[in-house]
Order: sequence, then structure tokens, then C-alpha cells
Amino acid sequence: MNVSRRWLQAVAPGLDLAAGEIAARLAMRGAPVEGITDLAAEIGGVVIGRVERVRRHPNADRLSVCEVDGGNGTVQVVCGAPNVRAGACYPFVPVGAVLPGNVRIKRVRIRGEESRGMLCSARELGLGTDHRGILELSGQFEPGSAFAPAVDLDDHRLDVEVSPNRGDLLSHVGVARELVGEGGLRLADLPGAVEHELTVRSGSGVVDAGGVRVRIDAPRQCWRYMAAVVRGVRIGPSPEWLASRLRAAGAQPINNVVDATNYVLLELGQPLHAFDLAKVGGAEIVVRGARRGEMLQTLDGERRRLDEGMLLICDPEEALAVAGVMGGGDSEIGEGTTDVLLECALFNPTGVRSVRRALGMSTDASYRFERGVDPAGLERAIRRTVSIIVATAGGEPAPILLDACPRPWRAPVVTLRPGRVGQLLGVGFDAGDIVELLEPLGYRCRPSGGAIEVTIPGHRSYDTLREVDLIEEVARVYGYDRFPDSLGAFRPGTVPDDPLLRLHDRLRTTLVGRGFLEAHTTAFAPAEEGEVEVLNPVSAEESHLRSTVLFGLLHAVEHNFARGARDMQLFDMGAVFGVGGSGGLPRETNRLAVAMTGRRRPHHWSAGDLPWDEWELRGLVEELLEVVLPGAYSVEPGTFDSTFFEEGCELMLRAADGSAVGGAGKVRADRVDAPVWAGPVWGLELELGDGAGEKPDPAFRPLPAFPAVERDIALLIPDSLPARQILEFLEERGGRDLVEVSVFDLFRGGDVPGGYRSVGFRLRFQSSRRTLTDAAVDRAVRRLVHRLKEEFGVEPRASAAGSGR
Amino acid sequence: MSEAGSFIDELRALERDAQDAIAGTSDPAALERVRVAFLGRREGRVSRILRQLGGLSPEARPAVGAEANRLKRVLRGALEERERHLARKRPDAGTPAPDLTLPGRLRWTGARHPVTRIVDEICDIFARMGFTRARGPEAETEWYNFVALNTPLDHPAADEQDTLYLKGGGLLRSHTSPVQIRILEEYPPPVRILAPGPAYRRDTWDATHAPAFFQIEGLAVDEGITFVDFKATLSEFARRFWGPGTRVRFRPGYFPFTEPSAEVDVKRRVVRADGSVEETAWLEIMGAGMVDPAVLENVGIDPERYSGWAFGMGPARIAMIKYGITDIRTLYENDIRFLSQFA
Repeated sequence: MNVSRRWLQAVAPGLDLAAGEIAARLAMRGAPVEGITDLAAEIGGVVIGRVERVRRHPNADRLSVCEVDGGNGTVQVVCGAPNVRAGACYPFVPVGAVLPGNVRIKRVRIRGEESRGMLCSARELGLGTDHRGILELSGQFEPGSAFAPAVDLDDHRLDVEVSPNRGDLLSHVGVARELVGEGGLRLADLPGAVEHELTVRSGSGVVDAGGVRVRIDAPRQCWRYMAAVVRGVRIGPSPEWLASRLRAAGAQPINNVVDATNYVLLELGQPLHAFDLAKVGGAEIVVRGARRGEMLQTLDGERRRLDEGMLLICDPEEALAVAGVMGGGDSEIGEGTTDVLLECALFNPTGVRSVRRALGMSTDASYRFERGVDPAGLERAIRRTVSIIVATAGGEPAPILLDACPRPWRAPVVTLRPGRVGQLLGVGFDAGDIVELLEPLGYRCRPSGGAIEVTIPGHRSYDTLREVDLIEEVARVYGYDRFPDSLGAFRPGTVPDDPLLRLHDRLRTTLVGRGFLEAHTTAFAPAEEGEVEVLNPVSAEESHLRSTVLFGLLHAVEHNFARGARDMQLFDMGAVFGVGGSGGLPRETNRLAVAMTGRRRPHHWSAGDLPWDEWELRGLVEELLEVVLPGAYSVEPGTFDSTFFEEGCELMLRAADGSAVGGAGKVRADRVDAPVWAGPVWGLELELGDGAGEKPDPAFRPLPAFPAVERDIALLIPDSLPARQILEFLEERGGRDLVEVSVFDLFRGGDVPGGYRSVGFRLRFQSSRRTLTDAAVDRAVRRLVHRLKEEFGVEPRASAAGSGR
Repeated sequence: MSEAGSFIDELRALERDAQDAIAGTSDPAALERVRVAFLGRREGRVSRILRQLGGLSPEARPAVGAEANRLKRVLRGALEERERHLARKRPDAGTPAPDLTLPGRLRWTGARHPVTRIVDEICDIFARMGFTRARGPEAETEWYNFVALNTPLDHPAADEQDTLYLKGGGLLRSHTSPVQIRILEEYPPPVRILAPGPAYRRDTWDATHAPAFFQIEGLAVDEGITFVDFKATLSEFARRFWGPGTRVRFRPGYFPFTEPSAEVDVKRRVVRADGSVEETAWLEIMGAGMVDPAVLENVGIDPERYSGWAFGMGPARIAMIKYGITDIRTLYENDIRFLSQFA
């Protein structure tokens, strides 16, 4: 809402504050000011220029050469505006002065003619959007005098942010009420405007008077429709006081009748619409729902197809306007208009909202109707509009105001218990305090028993309907800053710290400790990366919800490749989505993704580089699984997501029950746009479940009292046999005293026959009861070798075990 | 000449030879060869002589043995002294000392995302005030995202957060507030939770907007919670988070699910490079308020008995303020040169 400081002071005469102070007060009332524009400062260098003579430019048809009196004698100015004429006054920027936007005017030659200054349009001065011609001033002015005071521009424009519940603040009177209270408001006398003796004729559905008729066929959508008629107007530009006030509030003057409706909209918040009565067939207004396929050309020139049931203002034949949103082009006020029918109505906010959304347009009127227009303010608004029209456009008002009102408004009454105020706010207020706080805003309070019966004024009748709403009003008017902030005791809550977020913490600690950077990718994905479709996406790249986290991480890898990075280790955790969840929602699960490429440690001058490889990956996979599923997982070659990893270089991760929980491997070359110098990219994607299964507390085992004995054995294992099977056999069936088995060597070639590799296992024996003798350990090793031969058919390598290659 | 005498003479001659040989060495390797030649266990000349001791008469043995031991002692001393001498003379001989001014072997430095740092910091502060963390789904129903939060779908307030809808039903939550409903449905008061997580709106990417962004929801519901508690807890948080001397301001605001509603601003004290202290402008850091009774009723909690407060905060915006980041897109590009600055 653009608010003019001067206008605000006109309706609140006691408001003797600078713009900045007004802004500070409004902020503490819940309506912060986004910006303040000093209207005069922007055009400080502009003066009044009177055009003395005009002649056609000798070398250009569309240009004129003018002699302009700018106060310092007459200068020659070339002007492109079609409306320039001798004898009129315009805003003039002499050479050396500055226009809004910091444009300094210089002496130039235009098509051979010298030009020393510039005559300006409203838009060039930041006063509106009119750019059709230069701004002709009505009235007598002294050439060379400052332009700003001449058009009454000693003003500031405040951009007030109004929350959706405060439709009452979408007017100067509404904003002023917050600042000075109901008692400080006064509708300013306007030049030439007088109150006319008009009688209201009310009816519930149909009213007529003086040959004009109003009928409401849709009483659920149109709650009240008032109409006035002014005959014999002369359409023309508004006087400067009216035009400049509109401009100060950021509105564009159009003509005297339309400007009068806009003036009242901005002053009182009531949208009004003026029809050319001659274009209203049968002088009858019908308020009804649209018929199937009905069309209307709106004021903005667009021809719109209307949905059945959209509320329209019509004559008995055809649609004239979309109710509460926009008028139609046919019945628009134009130069030939002599008789005006003025509409001042109250429409159902949700109806206006759905029509506005369906048509995809928002206007000053629809914006206010959606947020709630004062149901008690219609008569005052239409009377004031009639006064202004008669003052600026002449004419004679019809003596009767038509008032079709199928839904008469009654002020709601809300009971407020002072005890409840204290209970919620933590500071006690007695009934007297509360009445003092509420009444200036228009609430009428009547003590009743221990409570207060509060009558809600029309302008707050949309958002203040419950006791708690009034309690907020008490706190707001009292001032939030006046409440103490002493911290009291509290009881601990019943909600356990979320297990998944705790798991996130543990994974983050592990990965950050290993040198990984946490990335943040979003849940959006293009169609090929997700199952669940977004109905109204921002872009094609964000048209679906991702089904993996890794894909986004690979994008991050590409981003960094493109900036020359070779080495990176990234991770991210987040939700992935699939179709078919419960309750009509997508299936949503949480995952960790890891991606790395290049060297796993920074280069050091002492040694060669250590790149990421499958063994680093597998080690990391097991380390992470130990965090996610402590002691309850397995890892084996296999395919989890064939779209990501190279065949034959992929690990499948399983939970203890055998279900697949993730995959890891070398990322396929076609999944990453990598420069030629880049190394392979390794990736991992892992389901996190709900984070349950935190690692149990360790149980202490007594430290061994007897020494350990180690033996190395090298076995010839055929390529068809996964070495993991031997390892697991030794671990599970190696006997009580075999406490650790590790692989220390893998060798091919030499004396190892083709199709075999030699795998060296280091066996560590230790007893908790005695010192093992060499002989006993040797016997155990021989027994194991024998059983391996029986079980798997593997032989020890012929050369001495452990003697190297 | 007695048996012993000739042996002793031989040993003396050997001593002279050995002393000459030791004196003639110029490097440690040569010195080692001399040591082996004279004192080596098998082939050393001294050892060979000593092995002949067995053939001597018992009377001669002690004298020769004593002389041989003396010789060994003398030669060992000479070898050691020569070794020290050679080491002094040739300081570059042997293994040189490592040049420890060179860089050591490093590891990559990991880092949490800057937004995570902020989320953790906020959750830690509230954890010390008795809050636990909670979570809810990101794909939500209109009931949880709007209606249960006292936001009718036909009210302009629903426009303020242009929502992304999903084919097949549901929407992407436009704020973390649905977690309030989910938690209050599941747990009885007292409830004191923080719910960090992503939220989504139909915004196009620019310097200050992202269609996906992090939010932290806070919620406290119990008997006897008042506006004063609300102000006190959030002020305490703000001072702990933004530093001592921070001023906190509560302004009236509007959210359909809180009443009274407030915008919370802070004014920080910043120490400049020259040591002077300056106050920043007021920064808007969260929207908050007392839980609307309609919200409590929607989850079956009696608003006459229980009350509470809630807030919503944007950790991305806070990260931008705190770390001086000017474009929100930087947070989602995942440039490692950016991420590694938060180690």
C-alpha cells in the first residue's frame, strides 16, 4: 500500500510527524514500511516552463521547436511530445539540472536545431506512468519557479507492507486510525466538494428509483450493492490537487470521474466503479453468475472467457464487468460520457478470490475485496465519491441512492475475559486497561459481569472474531516491547530427540572427520531422475522429485570439474521420493549419498599420489554401514542401481535381513560429464531408514593374559571362488583360539598357475586359558588347511608360506 | 724367548698395525673394514691369536690373556675416537637431518555445510533449554500444511506461500510448521521441540529466493506458557546466538497459526577491525507467536488448559548474515572452494 504522508496528515490533522517517525510507529503496530520516497527531492531541479512559441522542426515531422520561458529568459527547446502548445506551462528541466534516475540535462543539437533543456512527462518525473505526452499544468504559474511546490509535491510516499488479515490498512484512513485512533480522524474538506442531500432507498434483492434499477440474483456472492447516478457530467482531466494526490500515492490520474473513485478507494479503502449510464442497457444493473461460454472484454483490452458462475455486473442483455475485479471496456467512462452510474458494493471475499485466481489478474479492487472491505463504510464512500464527481466534473446527482442489500451486516459481539488476557499474555490487565487500549481502534466495549462485551467495528470484522484475536489487539496496542522477558522454569518435553537426526549427526561426524565436504542438493530433479511429478514446477529441471540423492551430488561433481577441481569428496543426506506412499502421498525415505574422485589425500612431495579406488570405497562403505546398521549388514558384489555404477565394479549393501539398503561403485562414465583429465568418480547411496538401531553400549571383555601366536598361510584360490568365502570360513570355523584373520597379500604370476591367485592369510591365535605352544598352533593350522581343501578344494601355495613372492 | 713373550710381542706388533690402519682411515666404511679385520669375531687378527691361546701352557695363559684383553680395549677406544673424529670432520657424512621446514603430509579437510552449522548451533542452544529435535515428511497434505494450521485454502494468507503440488496428491510443505501438528498428534504436552528441515515454495532462483530452503520450526506447548515466556525464551536464544549485547525487538506480525503473532528482529554489536564496536541495523530473523487456540483444538488439545508458542526461522538467511554471503544460490552450488571455507 502506497501511502502519501500529506494525505495521511489530511485525514489525521494531529499527526505532526516526519515520514521516518510515521514509519517507525507503523512498524511497531505490525505494518512495516518497506521504503520512503521523498517526492520533492527527486525533482528538485525541475522548474515551471511556459512555452511562448511553437514551430515545426524543419528536419523532423514529429518534433517541435519551442521557445520556453524557464525564468532566465527564453531558450530554445526541441520537444517530441504531440501535446505541446504555446501558452501552456510544463515541468521544465534547464541545462545542468538533474532528472530522477540521475540524468543530467545537457545542451544538445537535435537534427540540426539546438535544444537547451527538456519538457517532461509525468513518467520522466517519477510521478506516474503516463508517457503519452508532456505534463501540462492547469492553473497559473510563474515561469522559473520551482516545480515541486507548484504541484504540491512537498510529500513522501511510504510503501507500507500490509499483512493479509489487515484489509483495513489498505487505505489512508485505515493507516491513520492505527496512528491516531478513531477520535483523531477527520475527512478533509475538498475544494468545491459539498454534501448533497441524498436519500437511501433500500431493498433486499431489487431496488429502483429515477428510472434506474438494481437487481441481485446472486445474494451469496453479492452481499450489498449501492448505486448512485450523476447526470450531466463533463469528462476531463482532474484538477491538480486531485491528480497530484493520486500521483503521490502512486496512482495514475485518468479522468475526473475515474479519479474520484480511485481517490475514495485510496482514502477509505472502498472500491467503486463508474459506468457510463448510457451503456447500461435499460438502465438496469443485474448482479448474477456468468453463463456457460460467456465472454467479456475487460478494461485492459483483453477479451476473456468467463467460467460459469463467476460473479458479473450486467445489464439485462450482457455482462458489463467482472464483479470486484475489473470493469468492461464497453461501459467504460469516456470523453462522451454525460451520465454516470456509480457502483459501491460489497462482494464475498472468497468469491472474488476464486474469480481473480481463475482469471489470473489482480486489481486494486480485488485485492481489497479479498482482504475484506468495511461492510459499514459503503454509504460514506459513495456519498463522498458523488461529492467529488460533482465538484470536479459537474453534473447533478440523482436524489436517491439505491441500496440492494440481501445480507444486512450486523456488528459481531465478542466476549473478552480479562483473566484470559492475563493467562495468555503473562501480564495482568484489568477491564479498564483493556477498554482504554481497544476503544481508539473502533471497538466498543461494554463491561458485563466479569467480562467485556466487545462490539467489533466493520473494518475489523473479518479478522477479529474470537477472544484470542482481541487478546492480540490488547498486546499489540499495549506494545510488545513493554512486556518483560524474564525466563521462567520449564518442564522437559515428552518428545525424544529424533533418531534420524541423531544418525545424521553421527554420519556427518564420521565423514567430515574423513575429509568430506557436506553438500546441500535439493529434492528437485528432471523427469529422468524422479518418479513423482510436480504439478506446477518452476522449471523442467525441477519438474520431479528425486529418487536418488546421488544424482544431485554428481551434478555437484560436474560443477566442480567445470571449475578445474580434480579432487573432491562430497556427501549429502536427504529425502527421496517414489510413487505409492500411504494416504495419497509419495513414498518418502531418507538416504545418504557420497561421491568422490581424484586423490584421497593431498599430494605430498615425498611420495606418489594416492587415488580413490575400489578398496578405499569398500573400506568407507563398511565404515559407514557400521554407523548406520552396527554389526548388522553385509556387502557383496552386486547391482543396486544399474544406472549409476559400472558393471562388475559395484557393491550391493544389505541389512541383516537380506534387504538391499544401498549400492556403491565406480560411477559409469555416461553419468558424469567429466573432463579428460578427471579420474574415475566413485559413489555410494545408502538408505538410512528412520535412524533406529543406535549402536549399543560396548560390553567390556577382559584383556588377554597369554601371548598370541601368528601364522601366515598362502592359498591358491581359483578365480571362480570369491576369497570372501575362505575368509568367512576361517572366521566362523577356525576354532575358539583363532581370534583374528586378515588378508596380507594377493599375488598372481610366478609359480601361481593361470586361473588362480595366491591369497595370503595371517592367522592370529590366542587362548584365554594358557600359552599356546608352537606345536599346538602348527597342528591347528594343518587341520584348517586340510579342511579348506575338503571344503573348497584349495591347496596351499608350494613355496614357503609367507615368504613373499 | 718364552712362549708368552713371543705371543705378547705379536700382539704388540698387531697393536701398532691396527693403530696405523685406524689412523689411515678417511671414512666410516673404511673404519668398519679395519674393525672387522682386527676385531672381527671369525677372521679378525686378534681373534685368531686368541684362538691359539688353547695351545699355551697353563702358566703362560694369564699374562697373554690379560694383554689380549688390554689390546681389545685399546683398539675399541681408538675406533670410537676415530669414528667421532670422522663424524666431526665430515658433517655431511651419513644420513643428513630431515629438513623439517617442509610441509607435512596432510589430509583433506572436511566441513559441514554452512546451513548445517547454523542449524546445529541453533539446536544446541535450544537443547540446553530442554528442547529435542523432531522431524516430519516433506511431502504433505493440505490438512497438515494449511488447514490444521488455521489457514483456510480460500484465504489470501495461503497465497503468501505459493505452494508446489504433486501429481497423484499431496504437496511439498511450504514451511516446517506441519511438524507442529504431527508432533502434537503423537505426543502429549509438555512438548518442547525444534524441527529443522527443508521446505519448498514456487519461487524462481535469484539472489534471495530458492524454491527449496531450510527452515527451523520451534514449538513449546504446556500449561501456563505465556507471551512473557515466549519473549523470554526467544530473547535468550537471540542473545546466545548473536552474541552478548544483542538487542531483540518484537513487532506485531501475522501468521494464521499464531495469535498474537510477532516478527522478531535483532540488532547486533559488531566489533570492527580497528576494535571499535558498532551496532548493525535491525535484522528480521524469525516469525513467531503464541500458538493459535484453533491449532490446539485441531489436535485435540484443550486451549483453555494448554498454551504455547512457535517460531519459524530461516537458517540459510541467518548463514548469509553471519558469514557475509550475498547470493543464496551460492549455498546450493556446492562449489568445493566455498564448502571448504566452513571447515
